Amino acid sequence: MRGGHVIALLAGLSGWGLHAACAEPARDERAEIAAGEYVAHAADCGACHTLPGHAPFSGGLAFHLPMGTIRSTNITPDPKAGIGGYSEAEFARAVRQGIRRDGATLYPAMPYPSYARMTDADVHALYVYFMKGVAPVAIPVAPNDIVWPLSMRWPLVAWRMMFVPSRDQAGQQVRRAFADPQLARGAYLVEGPGHCGACHTPRGIAMQEKALTAADGPLFLSGGGAVDGWNPVSLRGEARVGLGRWSEDDIVTFLRTGRVTHAAAFGGMTDAIRHGTQHMTEEDLRAIAHYLKSLPPARAEQATWRYDAATGRALHAGDLSARGARAYVDNCAACHRTDGHGYPTTFPPLAGNPVVMDASATSLIRIVLTGSVLHATHQAPSSFVMPGFAARMDDQAVADVVSFIRQSWGNAAQPVSASDVAAVRRSTQASTQGQEGAASSARQPMN
Amino acid sequence: MSRSHAVPSRRTFMQVMAGASALVATPGVVARGHAASSAPPHAPVFFNDAEWKFLNAACARLIPGDALGPDAVALGVPRFIDLQMDTPYGRGQLWYMHEPFVAGPANLGYQLPHAPCELYRRGIAGANAWCLQHEGSDFANLPAARQDEVLTMMEKGEMAFDDIPSDMFFEQLLSNTMEGAFADPVHGGNIGLKSWTMIGFPGARADFMDWVDQYGVAYPLGSVSISGETA
Amino acid sequence: MDATRLKPVDVVVIGGGWAGSIMAKEMTEAGQKVVMLERGPDRSTAVEGAYPGSIDELEGNYRYRLFQDLSKSTVTIRNNMRQRALPYRRMAAFLPGEGVGGAGLHWSGVHFRMPPDDLILRSKVIERYGKSFIPEGMNLQDYGVTYDELEPFFDRAEKVFGTSGEPYMINGQVVGKGNVFSPSRSQPFPLPALKDVHTAHLFRKAATEAGFHPYSMPAANASAQYTNPYGAQMGPCNFCGYCSGYACYMYSKASPNVNILPVLRRDPLFELRTHAHVLRVEMDSTKTRATGVTYVDREGRTWTQPAELVIISAFQFHNVRLMLLSGIGKPYDPVANEGVVGRNFVYQNVTTSFVWLNRNIETEQFIGTGGGGVAFDDFNSENFDHGPLGFVGGSPVWVNQAGVKAIAAAQAGGPPGTPRWGSAWKKGLVDTYRHSLRIDAHGANMAYRDVFLDLDPTWKDAYGLPLLRMTFDWKDNDIRMNRYVVDRIGEVARAMDARQVQLTRREFGVPFDTRKYQTTHLGGGAVMGTDPATSALNRYLQAWDVPNVFVIGANAFPQGTGYNPTGMVAALAYWSAYHIRQTYLKNPGPLVSL
Repeated sequence: MRGGHVIALLAGLSGWGLHAACAEPARDERAEIAAGEYVAHAADCGACHTLPGHAPFSGGLAFHLPMGTIRSTNITPDPKAGIGGYSEAEFARAVRQGIRRDGATLYPAMPYPSYARMTDADVHALYVYFMKGVAPVAIPVAPNDIVWPLSMRWPLVAWRMMFVPSRDQAGQQVRRAFADPQLARGAYLVEGPGHCGACHTPRGIAMQEKALTAADGPLFLSGGGAVDGWNPVSLRGEARVGLGRWSEDDIVTFLRTGRVTHAAAFGGMTDAIRHGTQHMTEEDLRAIAHYLKSLPPARAEQATWRYDAATGRALHAGDLSARGARAYVDNCAACHRTDGHGYPTTFPPLAGNPVVMDASATSLIRIVLTGSVLHATHQAPSSFVMPGFAARMDDQAVADVVSFIRQSWGNAAQPVSASDVAAVRRSTQASTQGQEGAASSARQPMN
Repeated sequence: MSRSHAVPSRRTFMQVMAGASALVATPGVVARGHAASSAPPHAPVFFNDAEWKFLNAACARLIPGDALGPDAVALGVPRFIDLQMDTPYGRGQLWYMHEPFVAGPANLGYQLPHAPCELYRRGIAGANAWCLQHEGSDFANLPAARQDEVLTMMEKGEMAFDDIPSDMFFEQLLSNTMEGAFADPVHGGNIGLKSWTMIGFPGARADFMDWVDQYGVAYPLGSVSISGETA
Repeated sequence: MDATRLKPVDVVVIGGGWAGSIMAKEMTEAGQKVVMLERGPDRSTAVEGAYPGSIDELEGNYRYRLFQDLSKSTVTIRNNMRQRALPYRRMAAFLPGEGVGGAGLHWSGVHFRMPPDDLILRSKVIERYGKSFIPEGMNLQDYGVTYDELEPFFDRAEKVFGTSGEPYMINGQVVGKGNVFSPSRSQPFPLPALKDVHTAHLFRKAATEAGFHPYSMPAANASAQYTNPYGAQMGPCNFCGYCSGYACYMYSKASPNVNILPVLRRDPLFELRTHAHVLRVEMDSTKTRATGVTYVDREGRTWTQPAELVIISAFQFHNVRLMLLSGIGKPYDPVANEGVVGRNFVYQNVTTSFVWLNRNIETEQFIGTGGGGVAFDDFNSENFDHGPLGFVGGSPVWVNQAGVKAIAAAQAGGPPGTPRWGSAWKKGLVDTYRHSLRIDAHGANMAYRDVFLDLDPTWKDAYGLPLLRMTFDWKDNDIRMNRYVVDRIGEVARAMDARQVQLTRREFGVPFDTRKYQTTHLGGGAVMGTDPATSALNRYLQAWDVPNVFVIGANAFPQGTGYNPTGMVAALAYWSAYHIRQTYLKNPGPLVSL
């Protein structure tokens, strides 16, 4: 069913772009549903609202936060368990302002500070899609378990007033001046439905994103705090840790397949690609790439990364005297090679990989501990699984190998300690309890 | 799932893994230490006392300790065999065991109705009975040289333990002994990876990209096991 | 047991290995709704190949994790018609697979094209040596298809598998240092040849000195990362040595699971049902048309899946047995010399010789890849004059170091005369493991009138159906061929400056031994050809008597060959699928009229 919609949409999409806001509502309901499905992909709704192995948009994905666990809601059109009772205005208010039908404020795990910028046309299409293109699921989601007093939602109202742009403000942001329409479309997708900043922008003391658009300054998309043990990198122009060495083609290919010669997707980004970007048109992906490449480095950058062959030479000669080298050849080198180049696009390189060189080693530690799955996409049907090494390596061994990786092949990033690893191990044990165990078989790729 | 043909039951498996994870927690310590030539503590799950004594004695003759490496007992081989009895393999569930069981020429293969665990039960009882009758002592109490002679007779099929020709029992014992000594330590044998280091087998590293064409250069890297133990 | 009738589909494919996956892919491309029935579990690299747990020789090679569940079904075997066949109760001589991917998941990766002369062997032998050269009782036959006809399909299979190799001749022009005996190709291999391991490197040198023509074996173990025409990706082979018996954790050994199924599984026209054990193909009252397939699921429920087209694409002998159980084609009677199903059952004639080198040379036998190595074909196929030798068939010779692991090394032990246990065994083992290498004569096995398959009168499978019975032994022709070729290995060993050599020759009067692993390359039993009196399938692998049944596998080989069968099976699958798509689907019926 859904496949058909995508095809129908792709066939009829040309011309649907920046001016979608002014477009007449589609007469053909199927086209409208398809357009709404496309917006749902662009807004990556499925990544949070669809639990692997469960009905689409039936919710239940747990977010383990310091204050407790919240779960994504059922947004199927079931009138009781889902959002079937929402009018379009109520729906629009929830999506863009974070106000539930009963007036309560949604937890900002829902990225309404970004969705605030979504056009009426897009929200309308989305509404039509959720009401008519999604199968209702009558199963309610388990309640959140956030302990009182944090379970009270009224402080969220204040938070919302302070940090979520009003309709007017958001509209002005969308309509600000851009050099060309492609840049404007890219900005809309990234700052609006794409809500890239929700992960990739640093957050302030009240957990608010420190910048919501490129116009808010260089903190926007300069790399966010850890989410589920993954550390979102900068999407700005830094040469070592950002997208400085990526071409627009690289970004397009990455968003479509999760794999390019520099890197492979992991962590939360695999879901963003799987549920979201792989379904987007070439034109929109190009717009996103064009826009991201327009963002200058957030900070004065150190010298660009240059490959250093010394580590590869030593390992090739059997010299494992460097700390962490033995663990590297025992656990990592098969796929990532002693020269650190990997075998792109099957196994990503570690040499010069922005994630490896990031100031925060959290992602690297986490991926060594838990492994990761590179999911298949329409254009890259093969999935690849990196195993986790939590059982095979203790904290010191992981620290040694991660430090080795961060300091080899010209990477020159700071080493990490066993206590850094222990902290990530604790946090991932907490966040993987329950949900991933149940979901892991459904997530296991079959090639 | 089909994954765990050879992995013993959860309880016994955890015994082995408890040891293995202790090794992981202190990498390098075990790798560089020299294991004493004594059996690891193991309370047999399948074998009774008399069987356990036989198994320890026989394995230690099949793989004796010498300058090249430790004996099968120090390698944990009897423990491995004991744990294997509690697997689908040990229970004969990997074999076609449908009736009728008809004797035939040896080259047409195994035709007895006994699972491996039953071969051990009957074979050990038969071997000990033979030793008592001919030597006045059970196998484990014979001098090593005499044990070797008895094993050689067994290997040549010069005895029979009820319906089990002695060479059939011997082959079962020998092949499981080799498996235990040379398999990954996750299965309970090959303690300290000492069989692998003896022959120069790198184990579970499973990557020789840098070495495939370094002709004439001896592979210099040590062994590593599935659990990450190194030697 | 009443079977529940399911909603009809266009095509039912029996077996989820290479043949089944290729056929399913081709049929869905043709717009057909396909159901694939696989009796084993679903399998994936993520689970079966997960590092490091999968790097476990005991589970892979000694507990047969990826292989057929013999406790449910096996075969019976005898050496001749006077004997009572007995069940093959424990895995040993051959290792059929089970589960999604089939033998294509646990195989090594050797990926050959069939030599052109082997496809027309009967014609060739008669042309060169006269009809009287064919020994009494040998059922020598042509395939009914030529190399030129199959070439595009060999090429297709290589591109899908990501095969590594060195070409010799492309479109009639010599282009490289490949096998001088190999036929001209239309395209190069998709990937360059794998590197030589040390022993193969030494063998290449010595074989050249001995006057032979060594070449890099074509291997479906990728020499670099690769994306095939379906968009499926492979990693590069890193010579880890865990190929045969394992799911490749590097995704570098071609398998249906890695190379075809990732795409097929996403296709809405395709449905895979696992734990679906097929009991029989259902026939209409005329016995000339299949109506579907009946199978048992994991819970013991019986289902009938109606289909317009039935493709039997399980392992070689399962295909033959299913034909016998379903009444497709006339069963073979060796006494009357009539019937075709079960006729021309063949094996492969492999012996492994050992060479010990000086102790300053480390052979590092743990480094290896399943399909790679160095071979010479000077004594394979019709590449040499059989006239003065007086036998039919030949054998490639190779060092195919697939990674000798610790248990296998311990069980092989030391040189001849070394005890199998005790301190002397240990000493011999260490010396042998570190300083020896293995050379195979991988010969053909010819078909004979009294070597065949039928249903066993005594033993049954877990579903109450008779087991297949194999009547098989080595014949004088094949023993002489092996001994001749193994003597040539002696010449190479001399050129290697060997310290000690153990030439392993097949011995006269020693019957086929089911207790020792030989090879899983079983063939024939439902062969292709141009004469329905001597073949069960026409040249498109369509059952002569039941035109909506196609039977794909090594069962179609009229006699054995020196090469490994998978490349030929894959090419035959693409060949058959091409003609189904081009002709059969437009006008269902016999593709060959008599």
